[in-house]
Amino acid sequence: MSLLDILFAFMKIGVLAFGGAYAAIPIVEKEVVFVNGWMTYQEFGNLLTLDELTPGPILINSATFVGMKLKGIPGAICATIGCILPAMIISLILVLIYRKYKKLSIMESIMATLKCMSIALIASTFLRIFIDALFGGGSVSIGNIDLIALPLMIISYLIMRKKKTNPILIMLGCGLINLLVHLII
Amino acid sequence: MEKLKKLFLLFKTTFLISITANSGYAIISVIRNDFVKKYKWFTEEEMTDYIALAQSTPGPVAVNISMITGYQSEGILGALATVFGVALPPLLVMIIVTYFYNVIIGNKYVEIFMRGMQFGVCAMLLDVIIGLFVNVTKKSAAYSVIIMILSFLYIRLLDYSIFYLVITLIITAVVKSLIIKRRSVKQ
Repeated sequence: MSLLDILFAFMKIGVLAFGGAYAAIPIVEKEVVFVNGWMTYQEFGNLLTLDELTPGPILINSATFVGMKLKGIPGAICATIGCILPAMIISLILVLIYRKYKKLSIMESIMATLKCMSIALIASTFLRIFIDALFGGGSVSIGNIDLIALPLMIISYLIMRKKKTNPILIMLGCGLINLLVHLII
Repeated sequence: MEKLKKLFLLFKTTFLISITANSGYAIISVIRNDFVKKYKWFTEEEMTDYIALAQSTPGPVAVNISMITGYQSEGILGALATVFGVALPPLLVMIIVTYFYNVIIGNKYVEIFMRGMQFGVCAMLLDVIIGLFVNVTKKSAAYSVIIMILSFLYIRLLDYSIFYLVITLIITAVVKSLIIKRRSVKQ
């Protein structure tokens, strides 16, 4: 397997991965574990844990991890470029089409409909993260409810609505408060 | 000089969110906060269009949104600045993490901190969803809500690619717009 193989495998993933991170994971799994046999199931499981723990888009995290495992830093760079290159080219084409025809009533209708899908997609991700956060990553049961989760979410939401606080600060604040609460209790 | 400053701001904003947030959608919150409210480079209305475009494209949503907003603000250079901004942190962090794999994976405090940040991400996503919902339902609310519910069911219940959903929705939109046109011609 060469650097080009890594680049092409991740370009394929980049083209196929529609609809956000969680839709992308099975595609990465198929390409990396089954088609190319670059990782075992165990290793792929570790990758998912790392995805949860590290910042950044999950697809890029996965690409970097796999590339790193196979060929070190050059592999990581190739995998990352592979998964964002098709996305960049296709978005650019779409933006150019959008710019040219955005005044047409058909285009307006298409955008209005796609916006509805975009809300549904974000809502789906929100639901997944919300359930995961509320039950501390465990199974869905009353005993697993993380008591600090809901209050922190509501307070963050209110601060975000009322003041123009930078969302990044709110996120870091949530992390710190959670850490403090767990250290004290 | 002005242009360089703008490019740097594009890079800085996407870099900072990418190095902190775990979900690609969190970037929408920051883009709205910085590019729409603070610098006023484009309107909220335009932003919702960009988000819809980004989600109709394969690949990491965060990269697509950054790329489109960067391109609309400052052309190809703007697009490169935002894509670098969004792709660099996960690349660097993951390279470091794979070296210190065992230290980080088993660490309880890292996990608790990250879990806390998830609460913030939930609040951000909720804010984004409500903002978009209000914006989209301003015109033809009933149609929008029906499309939203059907799309949501497709995403949650069916195991097919979002690609087919995008195609179906585009066809629906074209048919709807043709019907409206025909009606207005008749009258």
